[in-house]
Amino acid sequence: MDDALGMAQDSSGPPARSRRFSLSDRQVGILFMLPFIITAAAFMVWPVIEAVRMAFYAYNPLRPDDIHWVGLENFERIFDDPLFWESFHQALIWTGWSIFFQTVLGVGLAMLLNMTLPGMAVFRGLLLFPYIVPTVVIALNWRWIFNSEIGIVNHALLQLGIIDQNIAWLSTPDMAMASAILLNVWKYTPFVIICVLARLQTIPTELYDAAKVDGAHSWRRFIDITLPMLKEVLVVVIVFRTIWTFNKFEEIYLLTRGGPGTSTFNLAVYAFEEGMANLRLGVAAATGVVMIALLLVGTVIYVRVSGFGREEKSA
Amino acid sequence: MNDSTRIPASRRQLLQGAALATTALAAPAYAQNAPRVARVWGEPGPYGGVFVQGMNEWAQRNNENIRFEVEQIPWDGVTVKLTTDLAARRPPALISVESPIAYQLAAEGLLEPVEDVNRAIRAQERLVDGFTLEQFGAWRGVQYAIPVHHQPCLLVVQKDVIDELGLGDPATWNWDQFANAARTIAERKPGMAGYTMALGRNLCADYHISQLIWQAGGMTWDASAGFRTTFDSPGTLEAFEMIRRLQPSMPRAAVEFSFLQVVDQHATGRTGMSAYWGRTMGRAAEEAPALFNNMEYYLNPAHPRTGARWSWTDINGWIIPRRDNAFIRETKEAVAHVSNSVDWMVRYSHSLMPNVGPVFKDVADAPAMLAHPFYQSKKRSLDVIFKESVPHACNTGLEMKRGVNPLAGVAHGRSVWAQSVQRMLLNNESPKTAVEWGHRQFEGIRRDNARMLGG
Repeated sequence: MDDALGMAQDSSGPPARSRRFSLSDRQVGILFMLPFIITAAAFMVWPVIEAVRMAFYAYNPLRPDDIHWVGLENFERIFDDPLFWESFHQALIWTGWSIFFQTVLGVGLAMLLNMTLPGMAVFRGLLLFPYIVPTVVIALNWRWIFNSEIGIVNHALLQLGIIDQNIAWLSTPDMAMASAILLNVWKYTPFVIICVLARLQTIPTELYDAAKVDGAHSWRRFIDITLPMLKEVLVVVIVFRTIWTFNKFEEIYLLTRGGPGTSTFNLAVYAFEEGMANLRLGVAAATGVVMIALLLVGTVIYVRVSGFGREEKSA
Repeated sequence: MNDSTRIPASRRQLLQGAALATTALAAPAYAQNAPRVARVWGEPGPYGGVFVQGMNEWAQRNNENIRFEVEQIPWDGVTVKLTTDLAARRPPALISVESPIAYQLAAEGLLEPVEDVNRAIRAQERLVDGFTLEQFGAWRGVQYAIPVHHQPCLLVVQKDVIDELGLGDPATWNWDQFANAARTIAERKPGMAGYTMALGRNLCADYHISQLIWQAGGMTWDASAGFRTTFDSPGTLEAFEMIRRLQPSMPRAAVEFSFLQVVDQHATGRTGMSAYWGRTMGRAAEEAPALFNNMEYYLNPAHPRTGARWSWTDINGWIIPRRDNAFIRETKEAVAHVSNSVDWMVRYSHSLMPNVGPVFKDVADAPAMLAHPFYQSKKRSLDVIFKESVPHACNTGLEMKRGVNPLAGVAHGRSVWAQSVQRMLLNNESPKTAVEWGHRQFEGIRRDNARMLGG
């Protein structure tokens, strides 16, 4: 049968003029992954490669035509800089205490949320609030809340008689670091809670019942049942939180700008200052490379020491 | 198992869809780079916007294909913004920044010469007495800045507090009387600091600290002697000791203060005196009439030995990026149009009184300028801000008016002056140790940027 234009029609299949695109399942899968691959390559892989490359060049952003090879000079500069070591030391304090409190509070609150108590559903909903509010909003609000002259924290503490003089939360080196750690813990403990709570809810209750029958008290049940069951998820959470916290820039910079003085500098803030204030982007990139190396080594060591995945492999 | 999937579309349809999607995604980027909009960087405050309105008046009359738009850049965010935009080869068409940064950019070869504009607006003959064209932004005999305003940093006091405590006339104070006044206010007025200045690691603290150094006869570099680093000097040491002497009279949080915190402190009645520019008076007029009524500006207290009253003054001019700037000609013409208009320049100064001092005589003396209410209620202070401060005006890029120095812009990026003082106040280093540390940093900056100095 011919159509209106006199073209021959094959009534048993698709029109002869158009060719249908035929893909295998594998190809369709790749097609779906393509946007992510392109985005990851453009915004994650390429910047890292470029940063590593830049670590070996001198680059003043005001003179973009004057980029030249300097070899390991950038690395020598940062290793000779007392501020780098001071920032590294402060980064360890910042990361260590943040992770410690996030883990302890996260596990504790997750166990509380795992209980069927009145109001828990509401609290679970409010739980995510610190995690979803943008860091800029939190940090700028905290600057006001912790203002030593007009901040509500000092006002409340004075009214309650807990202090008799305003605390300089952000104006002394120790208190500024403590305030920054407090902000970090407040914001990211919900992440730990969510991960731990999900794992807690898969622990068979029969284990606890059997332990109770055997006379184990609550602390014993926590140590011998809960903690081993949480081990795998805690390894993952601690590794990721450590990496993210060690690299953190915005909380510190927005809250204290690395001050007072340089007392809350971590390596991310140090890299920013080298690049933007000192106009040495190569040195900033070198700092980033050092951070990558430190985190890589630290992660490998931690995962091996913790025995992550060892039980499953032996099984 | 079926291992193939039929997509109900032809190859041509798929390609057409991909092309549409790409165009849609690229549209914002294309729109942003459309050549119609010329960006103008101004300081925080409405005056940049007023000037740009005048520039757009020129555009409407002469070139409807262009539109000027103002972007406000925070004072201590300029360096970061500049480095990223210049490195991305997307500079604004026109910039108003703190003088030391303008000098630095000029020495880096990043600015367009503007002698043609300054001739067109007769800048040299119109400048108020006490300023020279070179002070706004000349480097190696070439003019790179078009004068637009000046802002001196002076002593701001609540006169009622001074009178109540019998502290005399701030106009006659020297450092000792000033320190005594600060201490007396802090002791006898609960909840009120005696004096507030910025001591955080930022641009504002750099400015406040350096004016004390000059008053004591010190300098960071000597531009008249080959830019030799002279920070480690008796004058600098005296200034550091003065800051340590004043600190007990300051708010405890002063070590984190930048520009706006100092204004906040004064405009909310929590300090009897402060170091600041005109904005504090403007803010008090808007929000605290009682404070405004008793607020007065004075020249900085004289150093007892040198008698100097130097004030860190933003001798501000418009600068034009030279590279990757598609709007140089239009920008020059538009700036000339506004600068030649007494009406627009009065509006510019009036937009944030008394923060933005007029730099042209015909503007400063214009009846419209003098009609502002502050000239009735605060004439004495306005005379100090706009006229009496001029002989004492300098800045870190023009120390004690001994020559333009581009190194200051680099040093401000690191807030070296503020860092030096913080080492004394926070790390409990002796003033001498802190000054020596600062000297090493400044010498390092000089060495690293010798190429910029032509050395």
